[in-house]
Amino acid sequence: MAMEYYAGISDAMRITFVQVMILATIAIVIFLYGMYINLKKWGLGAESYGQKPSKGSIFTFPKTLAYQLSEDGHGHGQNIIVTLVLDILLQRRIMRRSPLRWFMHITIFVGWMALFIMSLLMFLVELLHMAHLGIGPEPAVFREFLSPINDLFSYILLTGIIIAIARRLFIPRMREATIAYDSILLGGLTLITVTGFISDGIRNGTFWGMGLENHLAPPAALFHVIISLLFCIAYIPYSKYIHMIASPLTILANKGGE
Amino acid sequence: MVRDNPSITTENLTAVQLMEIDSCTRCGECVQWCPTYDASGKKPGLAPRDKILRWQEYMKKSYGLRARLFGPKQVPEEEIEQFKEDVYGCTTCAMCATVCESGINTVELWEAMRANLVKRGNGPVGKQPMFVKLIGEYGNPYMADPKERISWVPDDVKIEDKADILYFGGCTAELRQKKLAFATARVLNHLDIPFTMLGEDEQCCNSALVRTGQYEIEDISRKSARKNVDGIKAKGATKVLFACAGCYRTALVDWPRLLGEELPFEIIHITEYLDKLIDEGKINWKQPFDNKTITYHDPCHLGRHVGVFEPPRKVLRSIPGLNFVEMDRIKDNQRCCGAGGGVKAGIPDLALGVAETRVEDALAKNPDILSSACPFCKRNLCDGRDSVKADNLEVEDIIVLTAEALGIDLSDCEDQAR
Repeated sequence: MAMEYYAGISDAMRITFVQVMILATIAIVIFLYGMYINLKKWGLGAESYGQKPSKGSIFTFPKTLAYQLSEDGHGHGQNIIVTLVLDILLQRRIMRRSPLRWFMHITIFVGWMALFIMSLLMFLVELLHMAHLGIGPEPAVFREFLSPINDLFSYILLTGIIIAIARRLFIPRMREATIAYDSILLGGLTLITVTGFISDGIRNGTFWGMGLENHLAPPAALFHVIISLLFCIAYIPYSKYIHMIASPLTILANKGGE
Repeated sequence: MVRDNPSITTENLTAVQLMEIDSCTRCGECVQWCPTYDASGKKPGLAPRDKILRWQEYMKKSYGLRARLFGPKQVPEEEIEQFKEDVYGCTTCAMCATVCESGINTVELWEAMRANLVKRGNGPVGKQPMFVKLIGEYGNPYMADPKERISWVPDDVKIEDKADILYFGGCTAELRQKKLAFATARVLNHLDIPFTMLGEDEQCCNSALVRTGQYEIEDISRKSARKNVDGIKAKGATKVLFACAGCYRTALVDWPRLLGEELPFEIIHITEYLDKLIDEGKINWKQPFDNKTITYHDPCHLGRHVGVFEPPRKVLRSIPGLNFVEMDRIKDNQRCCGAGGGVKAGIPDLALGVAETRVEDALAKNPDILSSACPFCKRNLCDGRDSVKADNLEVEDIIVLTAEALGIDLSDCEDQAR
């Protein structure tokens, strides 16, 4: 049982596979509807300075963004590649203000993105395997290959989360300013990470399994997947998670910012 | 079922700005640097982060998921009134934009929110509504006859009818702090640079109307910008010099937007022009200062808004007898003087509080002179200096110091410094 599922979709776990596929579809639909609402909301703005508000078309925002990107800046403009690499990927603006906050955010960002991509890859490998197309690596082999990388990025993510929680708890200025909008983001992130560690720990019998029986591994994994789909995808447009989309776009729109 | 109308509209906000509101991560960096939040005794509503969060909530209540399903949820009027007070409690210094980790262009966001609230019937505050009447009627915010714009011109100053260079004096220098206009005109004459001016045809640059969200009322701002641009073109100028940071920023950024066209001339701040002349070896200082220590306050509209940081410093460093020292907070990290964004007219106590802190920043370096490159900064820093009783601190504009170092006599100038 221990290694009969990987991303949760092997033959032995067909029910889980169906559940995961249904949940993933629901999560994506919820996400898309949320983004539709956001695009409609943003689309109520004008297409440029001094113009009348638009009527909420979902095309207004991309049009306005494209127009703004094509405009010259006033003393602060910079090359789009510099913006993408230094300000969005390497998060230079955070580094300038606080190296600790940068370390916290970059570890969360890198850990989150790496785990997300690896989960997708594992999912893809298992799908290919189940389709009997004869392409792609064996899921068991691929999982073993990913295992140490997964562990590494899980701990990178955990490091960032611990710093974030500690800042909210022990820095008075941060603690006093924390509202539900912030707590839900951090709480969701913590829940995903911890359930990931626990489900993996039960499956492999490590410290994180907390001595729980091996048969609890599949439901634990399923719970982790549900939570991840909920917070990773579905909840993004309705919460502070929207900053994962809006902040890079803002930096891009303002050519790296002031 | 009859649904309520949303409490707020999206008037004056662009689609990108509405997205920017959702990009705030609430990191709190802006709160730590906001000069008015600081000077107000840390009034929570003035924190930039808080303003963004509130508008985000208003948007959700008006146009979010719940509003789509069940209709908009009303925002109490008193809440919007309080929000207005807080949005106007900002000097538009752009410090929050500089430190924003998400790169939000906060200044334009506040200005857009103000314009939105003006249309809604809430804004502006204090004496700010007078700007519309005064600028609309007199072409300046000082209720002065347009003829007074040239009343300061002394007999020895030669102003061409047409020239390649036009000096745009600005309302404050021409009608109040005339020493600045005197100094600029005489410096240009001294350097044998032919220049022209718009004279009584000059209109207010409209910075006050743009910053306070009143630029669409009666179309005054656009009409004034049109008159100025057409006037400058008629004078044959290809370079326009500004000694006022507020006018400079407005001409550079806001005029093209108001008119929807690129300007057919170059916009240059006087310090940029002097910097170039120094590089070309065309300035010979004749009257060194007597070993004075000087520091420089970056005007927000010249520095953070458009990135002119070095030219003023280069001018001051090149003047003999001046020992230039920097304050701790300079350039893009500078602290605002407190006058901008209509705060001086709207909430004078707040403006004074910020000015006092900036003067304290300067006093920490023991200078004899606190200089700047903006008449409005000079005025508020003078108020701050008087308030903290730093009687020995001279507050002076770079162009006046330049004139003095060139040996130009300004003693015949009647300066209404306030």
